[in-house]
Amino acid sequence: MGTKKVSQKDFEKWVEKLIGLQKVFGVQSKDDKYEFGALLKAENLRLDYDITILPPKKYFLPSTEQLFSFGESGFNSSVDGEPFILFGVHPYDFVAIRQLDVLFSMKNNDVYYQTRRNAATIIVCDVENISENAFSGFLGFDHVEKGFDLLVTKTGSDYLVESGSDKGKKLLSLMENAVDAQAADISKRSEKWKKNRELLKKQLLKANVNELPAALGKAYDHKIWNEKAEKCFSCGSCNLVCPTCYCFDVQDDFGWDLKSGERTRSWDGCMIENFATVAGDHNFRKNKSDRYRHRYYRKGKYVPEKIGEIACVGCGRCISACVARIANPVEIFNAVAEA
Amino acid sequence: MSKPRVAIFDFACCEGCQLQIVNLEAEIVDLLSIIEPVQWREGMSDHSDDYDIAIIEGSITRPEDEERIRKIREKAKILVALGACATIGGVNKLKNHGPLEDMQKTVYSKDFSLPHLATMQTKSVADVVKVDVYIHGCPIDKKEFTYIIRCLGAGKTPNIPDYPVCVECKKAGNICRYEYNEICLGPVIRAGCGAKCPSNGFWCFGCRGFVDDPNVNAARDVMEKYGKTMKDLEEKLMLFNT
Amino acid sequence: MASGATNIYLPEYATITAAKQMTETEMYFSFKLDSGKPLGHMPGQFAEVSLPGIGEAPISISSSPGSNGTFEMVIRKIGNVTNKIHTMKQGEKIGIRGPFGTTFPVETAMKGKDIVFICAGLGIVPLRSAIQYVMENRKNYGKVTILSGTRTPSQRLFIDELKKWAAIKDVTVLETVDIAEDGWTGNVGVITTLFSKVEIDPAKTIALIVGPPVMYKFAILELRKYNMKHQDIYVSLERHMKCGVGKCGHCQINNLYCCQDGPVFSYADIENIREAI
Repeated sequence: MGTKKVSQKDFEKWVEKLIGLQKVFGVQSKDDKYEFGALLKAENLRLDYDITILPPKKYFLPSTEQLFSFGESGFNSSVDGEPFILFGVHPYDFVAIRQLDVLFSMKNNDVYYQTRRNAATIIVCDVENISENAFSGFLGFDHVEKGFDLLVTKTGSDYLVESGSDKGKKLLSLMENAVDAQAADISKRSEKWKKNRELLKKQLLKANVNELPAALGKAYDHKIWNEKAEKCFSCGSCNLVCPTCYCFDVQDDFGWDLKSGERTRSWDGCMIENFATVAGDHNFRKNKSDRYRHRYYRKGKYVPEKIGEIACVGCGRCISACVARIANPVEIFNAVAEA
Repeated sequence: MSKPRVAIFDFACCEGCQLQIVNLEAEIVDLLSIIEPVQWREGMSDHSDDYDIAIIEGSITRPEDEERIRKIREKAKILVALGACATIGGVNKLKNHGPLEDMQKTVYSKDFSLPHLATMQTKSVADVVKVDVYIHGCPIDKKEFTYIIRCLGAGKTPNIPDYPVCVECKKAGNICRYEYNEICLGPVIRAGCGAKCPSNGFWCFGCRGFVDDPNVNAARDVMEKYGKTMKDLEEKLMLFNT
Repeated sequence: MASGATNIYLPEYATITAAKQMTETEMYFSFKLDSGKPLGHMPGQFAEVSLPGIGEAPISISSSPGSNGTFEMVIRKIGNVTNKIHTMKQGEKIGIRGPFGTTFPVETAMKGKDIVFICAGLGIVPLRSAIQYVMENRKNYGKVTILSGTRTPSQRLFIDELKKWAAIKDVTVLETVDIAEDGWTGNVGVITTLFSKVEIDPAKTIALIVGPPVMYKFAILELRKYNMKHQDIYVSLERHMKCGVGKCGHCQINNLYCCQDGPVFSYADIENIREAI
């Protein structure tokens, strides 16, 4: 839908303008790491980040959210549909959002997710620095060419900004001193994509991704499940930092009148001990190894069979988040492919 | 339905958990809308021994404490352990790490053998009597306390996490303390605090006690990986004696 | 909330139209949606029962769809929601979401066939919806055999109905208990001990099994002795269907969502699903 080129200075002016226009959440530094947060000044935006601590899914599926309140007037649900801009989503994280879009509308529409998703304008940005455990390059999730509202790529001292939707186009029209990108600019971007594909291969995935569901299908009794799970704290860290994990728990709480109250949902994880426990305390996935295997089967087989795409985007967050250092999907996928 | 009659008792502790209740300030009025306190040394002057719910703060450290807690248990329909001293023994259990007499001498020097200073190995409340509800933490979390009281008022078993602090720490978007090369007890300690310490720049001290099934072998491995020893870990665990 | 959008997590109100104690731990309830509409379920489905503030629990529907706008459940006292509902009476309100899940094949595979119902423990609760359906449409089905087993005689459910069904032509009801109590003169032993009294023609029989998790493989083993085809055996599985709509992940059985792909499965569809039974 058209790609513009703009100088660093005008780009920053544009970001400032967007901040005045809508609520903007963008990538900023947190100590020596990065996180998505409310962006108050253009200068705080760090598009040179390597990876954020948590993926941007929190803007669509918050870590805890109210499903409804209840009281004398019955059940009342509301979800904030105020438009916002999500600035600086890396391609692999955007792929994860695209997957959640499918999963949250499959068979039944999740109105909370959908309302927030519709309210968002997503500005994807190409990767400038490579995080230590990235492997999206092996999965083809190192860059995206469609689906975004806007795509920002730094080329030298300029930015290329492509709009991919009407929402994006509208924001792009606010940019001053932007010129149409030329073939040479576009090829610079293609070069960057090519380079990123190779750079985003920090963890060496040898398994063929397309054959992964079949390979996992044969690996149910592989010794790796037990070997790894023995060291598992069942702390759910790998689940909680994962951009494609979306399981949740539901809890009720009363107000002080013990009549009104609210029902909330919050992030949950299939690695947590009582994830599959039913009333009466029977745990259908009591063994750590069963829970551990389940997670990788979801990423490499169960969800892919539903959506036609591997449900691990190669961000490497789980690898970094696991204190026991057992949560490397690449190790698992390589091992089952070899078996 | 009449309000449950609640008595609050303190044993060996700093009374900081009761202070958290006092610190509820305006919410105390709400609290009183669902419970009727009948005995609470720190909060009221009335005194009754007719109660439904007994809330126990502190650990059991003297022979006469054992007798007292047993009597309370007999009277209470529901017994609640309030705070780390009650739930897991807490810092009072530090004295269990050496011969009792050495500890007594260290604290009381030549007076150590005076009868009113008699002491014994520290026990959590559950080491002596059956505990129905645990309110973990040092100090307790006000939000969790009020949630549990509402549950008791509604006749509901509260949902107390049986997963590690890491869950809440990750949700909070914190940088893992191990990235700062610190030993954090988060992976084996029960959540429910909202990962308060890691969210404020500290490691997890372990005040809520172990999860039901902590993976100690994994902890051993982790110490090695981060260039630490089990002794380092044990020192960290000693504070709350989890 | 955007107007017109349906919210899959929002319950609707229903009123308790009858409540009675059945055993020490089980209570019978009948409900009617406040909207006046029927629940619209088919045998085998479940609904999420909400007690706002306490929580929500998936409960199987125990009545056939033909119960004049009401639906019935038998609820065991086992958790927060079920403990609380045991204190509730006629006229009080609950929240309902559903119906959810797959159904027993009353209108498809079961039609024209002999039917064997194997109900162990609380298994009769969901199976009753199918038994009632079959009895209401008796001419559509062949011979009916109902095997029912509980741990003790005092845990038997729907005793009067079992008696009523047994009196219907070509219906056989066989009961057993694991442990006999005073006065019990019937069969003693686990449910599989009843099979010696049952004749099954594998070419024209459909079997439905519901019971505690450990029981399925033994019951299936018995049915396979009759050379029954795996696709003719149906089971209903229990998991924590927390959201009921295929999102929250708690009820997964390997790749299957018990709340949407189940709870009713044909054995052929799950025999290679390792987490199933």
